[in-house]
Amino acid sequence: MNAPSTLAMHQSPAAVGQLHRRIYSIARSTPTGTVGLAIISVFALLALLAPWITQFDPVRPFPNSVLTGPGAQFLLGTDGNGMDVLSRTIYGARYAFGIAVPVLLFGLIVGVPIGLYAGYRGGWVDEITLRVMDAIRVFPSIILALAIVSATGQSLANVVLVIGMLDVPVFARLVRAEVLALRAGGFVEAAVNAGNPTWRILFVHLLPNCIRGAMAQMPIRMAWAVRVSATLAFIGVGIQVPTPEWGAMIRQGADYMISGEWWVSIVPGVALVTLIIGFSMLGDGLEELLDPRRQKGSR
Amino acid sequence: MSGTQESGAPLLRVSDLHVHFVAHDRFNNERTARALNGVSLQIHRGQIFGLVGETGAGKSLTAHAVMQLLREPARLVRGAIHFEGQDLAQLTEDDMNSLRGDRIAMVVQSPKTSLDPLTRVGEQIARIHRVHRKASEAQAREKALQMLRAVGIPDPESRAQAWPHELSGGMAQRVLIAMALVNDAQLIIADEPSTGLDVTVQAQILDLLRVTVRTRQMASLLITHDLGVVAQYCDQVGVMFAGSLVEAGPVAEVFTRPRHPYTRHLLDSSPDRIVLGKSQTRAGTAPDLYNLPPGCPYQNRCTRVQDVCRDHLMDLPEDTRHGVRCHFPETA
Amino acid sequence: MISTLYLVLRRAVLSLPILLGVLLFTFMLVRVGNNDPVGMLAGPTAGANEINAIRAAYKLDQPVLAQFVEYVRLVFRGDFGTSWLSGKPVLDELLLRLPATLELVLLGSFVGGLVGVWAGMRSALHANRRFDHWSRFLSLLGFGMPTIFLGLALIFVFFFLLEWAPPPMGRIDLMINSPKLVTGSYLVDALIAGDKAAALSAAGRLVLPCLVVAIVFAAPLIKQTRAIALDVMASDYVRYARAAGLPKPMVRRMVWRNSSVPVLTYGATELTALFGAASVLELIFSWGGVSQFGLTAILKGDFAVVQGYVLLMSVIAIVVFAITDLLIVKLEPRAAAGAR
Repeated sequence: MNAPSTLAMHQSPAAVGQLHRRIYSIARSTPTGTVGLAIISVFALLALLAPWITQFDPVRPFPNSVLTGPGAQFLLGTDGNGMDVLSRTIYGARYAFGIAVPVLLFGLIVGVPIGLYAGYRGGWVDEITLRVMDAIRVFPSIILALAIVSATGQSLANVVLVIGMLDVPVFARLVRAEVLALRAGGFVEAAVNAGNPTWRILFVHLLPNCIRGAMAQMPIRMAWAVRVSATLAFIGVGIQVPTPEWGAMIRQGADYMISGEWWVSIVPGVALVTLIIGFSMLGDGLEELLDPRRQKGSR
Repeated sequence: MSGTQESGAPLLRVSDLHVHFVAHDRFNNERTARALNGVSLQIHRGQIFGLVGETGAGKSLTAHAVMQLLREPARLVRGAIHFEGQDLAQLTEDDMNSLRGDRIAMVVQSPKTSLDPLTRVGEQIARIHRVHRKASEAQAREKALQMLRAVGIPDPESRAQAWPHELSGGMAQRVLIAMALVNDAQLIIADEPSTGLDVTVQAQILDLLRVTVRTRQMASLLITHDLGVVAQYCDQVGVMFAGSLVEAGPVAEVFTRPRHPYTRHLLDSSPDRIVLGKSQTRAGTAPDLYNLPPGCPYQNRCTRVQDVCRDHLMDLPEDTRHGVRCHFPETA
Repeated sequence: MISTLYLVLRRAVLSLPILLGVLLFTFMLVRVGNNDPVGMLAGPTAGANEINAIRAAYKLDQPVLAQFVEYVRLVFRGDFGTSWLSGKPVLDELLLRLPATLELVLLGSFVGGLVGVWAGMRSALHANRRFDHWSRFLSLLGFGMPTIFLGLALIFVFFFLLEWAPPPMGRIDLMINSPKLVTGSYLVDALIAGDKAAALSAAGRLVLPCLVVAIVFAAPLIKQTRAIALDVMASDYVRYARAAGLPKPMVRRMVWRNSSVPVLTYGATELTALFGAASVLELIFSWGGVSQFGLTAILKGDFAVVQGYVLLMSVIAIVVFAITDLLIVKLEPRAAAGAR
């Protein structure tokens, strides 16, 4: 449709023109995914550039301007300690990504091999893994996270570890299901018969085929990680004030909601919700793209 | 194999059916596939018309088109489907829906998954009768038992209480046939009805179909890729390739004196046929329906291809006993 | 009848090891950590002797497994230990607060469930049309909102801005006496006692938190119901029903019925998760329910309460799944055959 003009515009080698067209087509086919990606990118940018784009130091109190509303001096107001809400919110993006990304990596690095191996091995190894994973899943996650962080000490690293651990069963189950499907198709048998060592089968043969299913889940798990860490911080676990983390900020502002100083909670809250929705939209978009059944116009 | 008179008007007359697929690939580009390219056929009462061809040739699509069950992205772009004096392509959905399951019925390939898993088998037969004939519950129940008996299911009273997952494949297929016959359908479209069943059960089902067609003087469109089935059970046969019906005629004739190179190729490829003369087909795969060349779809595999074949696909002559869509058909 | 009873019993027996496992895990978890209740109990001025005496009295000087065995033994006798913070028996404390949580979760999930399933179904039946797009958008929004923000935002809008809702401080107006205890639910008890003022107040306070619960419950339900229904609509038997000329309402009913089991299963898992999410809500609205209680106990290291709370949550989960299983057996003929 736009192909001729795109190619004419970029007097570049055909390959680059093709790439542009391809990206454009992908973007058009999932508006949800594209918007989600855009949102995430904006926040990522904010997180990266925080020190340079913020007006004030996020932990610098202005004792004379406690709880001032949004206005000329403090664009989105100040909180109960007189710290600038906007600057704190922008810095909060760092914490959001700083938790979401390691959590995802942990979940993948631990969960995927477990799923691969359990699906591959079958038998009692599989059974036991499944039960353990299920047991973790059955536990109300907030409670579990809370309990563990409470018990092991309230540091950021612990929060990451704990939430990451809760992602492990999700990815393990997903990957395991894909491996089982491949097994049913004789794929695994063929690889075994060809004399491949186990680790090779797992990582060279099975992994690439299973990663597709996991991909759509990744942004969804990141959304969840952001959400849970904020909730934990809200309860008072893992992050201490005056750290500019959204959950902690919302907690701080909760008391002022009733008396009318809404910006202290609402601003970080909106940021939190927007980022989570961004991740969810990306997840939805990826699902649309990667699930062959959902192609528009497929039989 | 006779007893099939072609006197009078055909029960079903499909004329020049064209079906297009308008799809969007995953990058949102629009692509059109010419899935059916002028299919014409006739079926008379008491006859079984076999439709053969490779997978993807358009056999099931033709069946769905006749039943007006095409859903986006498939669209009927041209053609008429005359049944009992009406053009089905012109009917409203409501009118068509009252014909389905009543005058025209369908039997499909995987009977067990085609039955509602949450309803007992007898009730599934009964409700088709109730819906179309406004029968009472008792009447419908009685009719359902009758049908179960007619399709040869022993102990129908207890079988009627069975759940679909409790039935064997053959039994489930009989139930589908019972569902098709409960309202005295005039035309049964059987889409690979015996594929996937055990060989002995296959024969039973097809025997049942044939007996039913003959005794009730109905007609049946039997879709299959198994030439042996066609040879044994069908009166007429139509050969499909890449969306076109390339040859049609009485089974005995078409199978002993094929006129289209593809028909010959099919017959040659069948494991239990003797080779009839020199093959006129080059190796290859089925053409991409999204990029069909103009002219005859067989042009890239035919050894007799000429320029005219690339330009112009002729229509299947209607009202001929043994028609073929080829500029250079084999003569007897 | 016998077979369903058997299934329930079987399920109960099989859950026992899971319960024990969960309990053991919690047990060790709370003890492994940094919380040292002895210091809390003894007070800042206690000397070494006192501390040791307290430790011995609570048997905290025994090896963990021995403590666990002792705990389980007592549990079977109905003794769940005593809260270190309040001094009252754990079981009593939990049961006292349970109705508040149940009131919230059950009411909210009921409303959310109805709306969610209806919207999801409608979305599937009219896929890619206006209703579908709206409901998917709302579902996404609901999905994204962490409970904390949703609760606070609603308080801000309905209490502060519009002044429609009562202040988020507890289940009933501080000035009104709580009704006589029958079920534990203020609303129900007030209605039973005929106390109109109390009933009105309790109902008013229920609205906002229930709304949050309903939204949190409905959002994923819409998405999942839609997906399940779409799958069913693409199935062989639905296509065949259309080929047999069955009228649209009948086909629609078929889709509903065949979707009900997977939707129910999903709803059950969501429901158990809801009890956990309710803890945060109860904090925000000062609800005084059992989830809030458990949360505080975890933060303060009140071992016995934490164990009791986890046990309670697990039992609730098991009960929910058992009821779901029973319903499934009633609805799904294939289940009885043992096929999963």
